[in-house]
Amino acid sequence: MTRAPSSELQHGGENEGIDDLTLVHRAQQEDSGAYDELIRRYQERIYATVYHMTSNHEDANDLVQDTFIKAYRALKSFKGDSSFYTWVYRIAVNKTINFLKQRKNRIQMSLNDVDFNAENDPDLVALVSDKTPRRDLNLLELQEKLNGALQKLSEHHRMVVTLHDIQGLSHEEIGKIMDCNVGTVRSRLFYARQQLQAYLSDYLK
Amino acid sequence: MKTDPENFEELRKLMALKRHELPPPGYFNRLPGNIIARIERGDGQLGFWERISASFTVRPAFAYAFALAACGALTASVYSVKTQSAEVAYQRNPGKGWHTDSSDQNIAQTFDASHGPHVANWLGNTNPSAASQALPSLFAVPYQTVPVSYQNQ
Repeated sequence: MTRAPSSELQHGGENEGIDDLTLVHRAQQEDSGAYDELIRRYQERIYATVYHMTSNHEDANDLVQDTFIKAYRALKSFKGDSSFYTWVYRIAVNKTINFLKQRKNRIQMSLNDVDFNAENDPDLVALVSDKTPRRDLNLLELQEKLNGALQKLSEHHRMVVTLHDIQGLSHEEIGKIMDCNVGTVRSRLFYARQQLQAYLSDYLK
Repeated sequence: MKTDPENFEELRKLMALKRHELPPPGYFNRLPGNIIARIERGDGQLGFWERISASFTVRPAFAYAFALAACGALTASVYSVKTQSAEVAYQRNPGKGWHTDSSDQNIAQTFDASHGPHVANWLGNTNPSAASQALPSLFAVPYQTVPVSYQNQ
């Protein structure tokens, strides 16, 4: 692998603004700067997906690293039939589901801090205001309950609700990533929301 | 508390909280460097069998071709072994040819008479007393010479 200058590793350097496919072709020629830029583009979304699935920062960190390493090793087989984004997402989803199946019920949450902007989020302000029945509820308690409820869902239902309701992906995108049709995505989403609503009924108006 | 199963608006608002859960500051600045360092160390490199199975996943046609070649090699080896054993048998007793004559029938009868009860074992008899009897080797059949006369009696 060609070692990129440290400035490129920090900021993506000359690779900023180049389209994914060109970066993939360069990375296939072992240009680490190009692959570094691809990681920077998608790391936050991939991390968020894996983190919301596991509710554990350390597990998410390991899985994200393994995902990008696996993608790099398999990069020669990437033909561009789908976007790099969908392709790497699919690797992350499969890795995470396999990890969760092995982990089974040994859930150990290690939650990230809620950023200070949350207190100003209009949706959340309404939930924890004095007018709600659970006015004693604070954001941290709500965070724990919400993550606990998500962990009760099956891996596939949790994945659909994570990709759609938290990350805002469309049904079509989720279908491509999870290799299933849009109808399946919709039905899983409906069932997952019903389940979550039942688990969290005390915290909803 | 009552919640309408068809109306997920409140749930959607609650899920907004998840978007505010963020990793430690600076995490995303360090992550690409950590990944590139692990790649350079050789992490995640595939072994021989993993590379083979990965290429099967990527190119199913390669898997079919490999399976076909393996079947062909197996068939060829079985055919070769059969041909060789037949040649050996012919070389041991070249005068008899390949047809069954009376001497072969006699040998077969002698063999059946002496080893008849063991046939049950070959057919899958589960009787432990029968199964414990050692089977004779198929290659230890004694050759018998039966005098043949072509003169009319």
